[in-house]
Amino acid sequence: MSALPRREVVITGVGVVNAAVVGAWPALGAWLDRPASAPPRQLGRERPAVRLPEATLPGLIDPVDGRRLSRVCQLTVAAVRLAVAEAGLGPAAGLGVVVGSELGDFSSTIAFADGYLERGPAGLSALLFPNTVMNTMAATAAIAATARELTLTLNVPTIAGELAVARGVAAVAGGRVDAVVAGGVDELNPLVAQMLDVLGDGGLRGEGATFLVLEAESAARARGAAVLGRLTGAAWRALPARPWGVGRQVASRAIAEALARAGRSSPDWIYVSASGDGPRDVWESRVVATALGDRSVPSVSLASLVGHHAGVGALHVAAAAWTAQSGRLPTSTGATARVSGAGLVHGLGRGGGHVALMVEAA
Amino acid sequence: MTRVVVTGLGVTSPFGAGVKAYWAGLAGGVCAIRPLTLIDASGFRCRIAAEVPEVGTGSARRSRADRLALAAAAEALEDAGLGAADRAGAALVVGAVGGGMLEAESWYWARTRGERAPRWAASLRGMLPAAHAETLAHRLGLDGPRHTVVTACSSGAVALAEAAELITDGVVDVAVAGGVDAVTRMCFMGFNALRLLDPEPCRPFDRDRRGMSIGEGAAFVVLESAERARSRGRRAHAELAGHGSTTDAYHVTAPQPQGEGMARAMRAALDAARADPTAVGYVNAHGTATPQNDRIEASAITQVFGAGRPLVSSTKSMIGHTMAAAGSLEAVATILALTHEIVPPTANLSTPDPEVEFDCVPRTAREAAIELAMSNSFGFGGQNIALVFRRV
Repeated sequence: MSALPRREVVITGVGVVNAAVVGAWPALGAWLDRPASAPPRQLGRERPAVRLPEATLPGLIDPVDGRRLSRVCQLTVAAVRLAVAEAGLGPAAGLGVVVGSELGDFSSTIAFADGYLERGPAGLSALLFPNTVMNTMAATAAIAATARELTLTLNVPTIAGELAVARGVAAVAGGRVDAVVAGGVDELNPLVAQMLDVLGDGGLRGEGATFLVLEAESAARARGAAVLGRLTGAAWRALPARPWGVGRQVASRAIAEALARAGRSSPDWIYVSASGDGPRDVWESRVVATALGDRSVPSVSLASLVGHHAGVGALHVAAAAWTAQSGRLPTSTGATARVSGAGLVHGLGRGGGHVALMVEAA
Repeated sequence: MTRVVVTGLGVTSPFGAGVKAYWAGLAGGVCAIRPLTLIDASGFRCRIAAEVPEVGTGSARRSRADRLALAAAAEALEDAGLGAADRAGAALVVGAVGGGMLEAESWYWARTRGERAPRWAASLRGMLPAAHAETLAHRLGLDGPRHTVVTACSSGAVALAEAAELITDGVVDVAVAGGVDAVTRMCFMGFNALRLLDPEPCRPFDRDRRGMSIGEGAAFVVLESAERARSRGRRAHAELAGHGSTTDAYHVTAPQPQGEGMARAMRAALDAARADPTAVGYVNAHGTATPQNDRIEASAITQVFGAGRPLVSSTKSMIGHTMAAAGSLEAVATILALTHEIVPPTANLSTPDPEVEFDCVPRTAREAAIELAMSNSFGFGGQNIALVFRRV
């Protein structure tokens, strides 16, 4: 967001839960070293999508939370706990939470409605109702991480994860919180999949959560935390478009601001939000190409490997930190390409939401 | 530090369209909570709500909530005198929860019951909370930074705080911010399921209060840097002098029993405003009228301000709990209290709770010259925010 952050912001923890990778920074690095895709599966009449194996969450969530929390809240809590544990933050940390979600907890919403439609008022569940409010993932994450400062849930088509990280950067950079766990989460739901089809989003869908612990660099170094990467520029803007639509304007103020903050004229490599949603992917490629001018820069999207969901934006930021550190950029063929320098994480959503984050090595 | 001022106000409330109708209702102590007409309430103990009587013109393909928001945001822009060029760079932050759920419910109900369903693309396009921001941006030409915040019942107030930070951080110098929610089946049924609704109009801070009343509406404000407002010769309604946001990290629905997070938010807002608690003349309380919320909020207010002061009222007693719109509607009520030097009352309050140690302005508005006022909003998940406004 902010063009002029007052504190440098670093990543000190990563938590990833999706069909291809589960774990913290080491697990992410091992996967990115040989990036394998999680194969899409088809259920019923739905289009194929990348689903989290059923055995994954029970291995991450204790039975009490497994009964108490909805599935999307379990995804959130599992990834947040991985990230906070890796960062080594205790309960006394002045921690905030920013959750990006495109779709929220539709499974609970539908179950709540079905209770009424089947049995009338007697069928309504007081336990399900809170899950119908989209901030429940953030609330459960705050409880799990003892985060008592700012807590936000951000909702936007396509780029909720990127936006959550950018907003988290702004909160830390502006000195409003000492640390924030920020990222995105979504789960697959058959009715939602149908809805997205109707609205024209034809991308490969997935589910999962990725969260990052972001801290002021000075505080992280002072407590001896391992710094995994640096966020040197972050900005969000919007390009004109109809609701859920794809626009035509290609001049990006977000990229320009993120680059300016990072003190660079161009990124050396890019993680883009392309997800197989043809019209949007074309628009994003034109926006990026316009920002780069004549320069050719390698780019990749991990959405083709794990399926698009709000966690992918934060996954791209973590992956960009790994690329900056390792000098290797994953490709969709399962190999990596040699790169150096600083990377751009770019997101352009249906409706015109637009995020740019510059990521560099620690 | 950049000072942030409010230069435009816009409201769609259960009193009708516009700020003028809103203030007339609040200052008159009128209760707009009436029998529910938008949805079928048969079989429920509570069958009342505060509905907006006329939802402005506009495409019927838009959700009711979108139309509420459009009318309020357009009024705020006109009040601020922002033209097309000003709008192009303006940030937009919307607090939302229900989105276009009312229309999506109609589709889902019909589909489940085997009835002829409305066109589902139209019903579902506006369903998500983010739909309002996309509609407002597209219709009103707001192309600056845009985001939608969902913090349950505090969303509208959080939107104002988020927009103010975009200005103080130097990202933009003008922003449109507010909250919106329409009555939905999910919300009405959910609070019924939690047994939090009073069958009669709600009575915040009353000894015999029995729960909340649902409402709907939208309120948007134009925020800009004081320097920008001055340079274009606009008189501000008030200064948004500070805000404080905290999280209980305690329970998904219940507030922390001692009100620690609420008190911390109020103190943080006062610190940000560089204000002493004794300077605050009025608090627009979250005041839902549930036994638990009012008791804990009263305790938190007393912790911060001491017993016996300042004046405290809940405008939810007149317009119900408007969910994501509540924080911004109450922020506007607080600003209007500053500018009119009148504190709106707590309607329906006949027997003040003896555990509430301050004057809740029962039933009749009170003249009071106030320099500083606070608006509290607390949401599910322990998401607390306090806004402090200063008279200019």
